[in-house]
This record gives sequence, C-alpha cells and structure tokens, in this order.
Amino acid sequence: MLEKPNKLRIALICGVAIGAVSAVPGLSLINCCCCAGVWLGGVLAMYLYKQQFTDGMPPLESSDALMLGLMSGIVGAFTATVINVLILTIIGPVEQELVKSMVGKLLDRVVEQGALQSDMADTMREQVEQSIRDSGKLSNIFGSLFMTLILYPIFSILGALLGFAIFRPKNPPPTTMAQ
Amino acid sequence: MESNKRVYKILLFLTALWCIGILLAPALRANFPAAASIVYSAYSPMCHQIDGRCFHLFEAKWGVCIRCSAIYFSFFLSLLFYPLFRRLSSPSYPNRWWIALAVAPMVIDVFLNFTGIHPSTPLTRTITGFLFGFALPLYIVPPLLEGIAQLRSQFSARGGLFYARKAQ
Repeated sequence: MLEKPNKLRIALICGVAIGAVSAVPGLSLINCCCCAGVWLGGVLAMYLYKQQFTDGMPPLESSDALMLGLMSGIVGAFTATVINVLILTIIGPVEQELVKSMVGKLLDRVVEQGALQSDMADTMREQVEQSIRDSGKLSNIFGSLFMTLILYPIFSILGALLGFAIFRPKNPPPTTMAQ
Repeated sequence: MESNKRVYKILLFLTALWCIGILLAPALRANFPAAASIVYSAYSPMCHQIDGRCFHLFEAKWGVCIRCSAIYFSFFLSLLFYPLFRRLSSPSYPNRWWIALAVAPMVIDVFLNFTGIHPSTPLTRTITGFLFGFALPLYIVPPLLEGIAQLRSQFSARGGLFYARKAQ
C-alpha cells in the first residue's frame, strides 16, 4: 500500500499563506473577525491535502487534520513575524505612511457611506497610529510571536478540523476510538 | 469512551476559560488596569475591539467585539449541551451543508454593512454570530475526538514513551 502524502509541503504552503494574510497590511484586517484568515488557512490546508490522495493510499483521517492544522499554524506564526520584521526593516517608514493614508481614506469612505460612525473611525485611526508606533519595538515583536505561536495553531487546527468535516471521504473507514 | 470524555471536558474547560477572559478584561479595568491591558492585548490579534462595537461591563468594553463574543459564547453553550444531542462515544457528522447555512447570515450581514447597503446592528451581529458559533462544535468535536484517539493509538503503536510506560 502507498504511503499518505507528505504533510510538510502542504503545511509550508498554507503556513506561508496564513503568515502573508496576517502580516500584509490591509489583508490582515481579515483576522479581525475571529482570526478568519487563520481559520481559512486551516480549511485550505485540508482541501489541498485531500487533493493529494490517490487510489491505493490509506484514507484521509481526522488525525491528519489535527497534525496539518498544528503544523500550518506554527509555520504561519513564524512567517507572519518574519514578514512583519521584513516590512518594518526594508520599507518601514514608507509602509507606515502608506498604511496610514490607506486606512484614512478607507475610513473616510466608510463614514461617508454611513456604515461607520465618525467617533468609531477616530478610534480606529488612533489604534492604527498606536500600533504603527509600537510595531518596531523588539519586545513587541517577540511578544507578538509568542501570542501568535499560541493562537495560530489553535485556530488553524479548528479550521483544519472544520475542513475535514466538510471534505471528509463519503465512506470513511471504521473509526479507531479509544476505549 | 473515557478518553473521549476527558478530551471533551478539557475542551469545555479551555473554552470556558477563553470566555471568562473576555469578561475578565472589563472586570479588571477599574482596579487592575495593567492586568486588564494584558488581557485586552491577548485578544487583540483576533478582534478589532472597537469600543462602539463591543458589549460593556462596568462601563468598560469586553475583550472582543459583539460578533466575536456571540461566536465564542454560543460555541461554549453548544459545547456544554453537546452530549445531550450527540454521543461522545461514536461521533457522527451533520450534513456539511448545514455549516454553509449557519455561516451565510453572518457573511451577508458583513457584506451588507461593508457595502453600505444596510448597516449591521448589535442585534444582527449577535444573532448571526450566535448561529455560526453554535453550529461549529457539531463539526469540530467529532473529528477532534476521533483524531486524538487515532493519534494516541498511532503513538502507542510506535512505542511512544508515555504509552509504553503505561502499557508495562
């Protein structure tokens, strides 16, 4: 019987995707909704992993989802930190100004449309400016890595488990339940 | 079966802890602002925490926004009542389309708000978040219990240290 597909490659791909979504300015807003970017990364990992299976391989199991979610989350946490540091180091001030102006324009538009109150927009502007001011500190970088190393694997595992429930084989093998 | 119950209890405990943390942030704010700040920071990577979009306790915002609160607390409630409508011993999966139905109202609410067609209200955020959070454990608990059982048996078969000791 053939072996199961390698999880590491999929975990690296989806981990990098999670990290990119979490670190790229603008895209990272997705994570404002219960870490949706990380959840989706876990679901994507499960989808891609399922595509790797061919006839003759052992069936996809829920333990695969657990491991894949864990690995993707860890890779995602490191990737997000590395991308953050790179952005800060290479294009730091330019990127900060860009983010400030982008967020400012976006907030003005949303306030004009009536989807957001002006006091809320001001709070968001302050938060963005504060986070930009704090982002360069070394303690913040390590603190952020510590938090993401806890949170991303949790949410990525949840995403992968959800992915398993959605993409699972229609006729699964008999389950191995602990007695 | 015992193992499944243990995993379920640990998951329930951790979820309860997560939800308590959301309420702990505003509770600590008046007397222990530094501790409250740490709790708020812990939840900040997952939520925008905009004051106007949060529930308030003791005149301070909760750790996460209304939608996230609804998701987490309904997740906890659903998990709490899970053994009443699903067996832990033989996990079964609901139809995969139900999750699409559960998430659709939230996506529509966010879309309508973002495009300015119809602003979301605290009520719509609560209801749509609640629906999604309540449906999640039905899809997550079965593979979680199954997956941990599989990992334990795989680890045991490979002669894992802990299980090898236990088997002796």
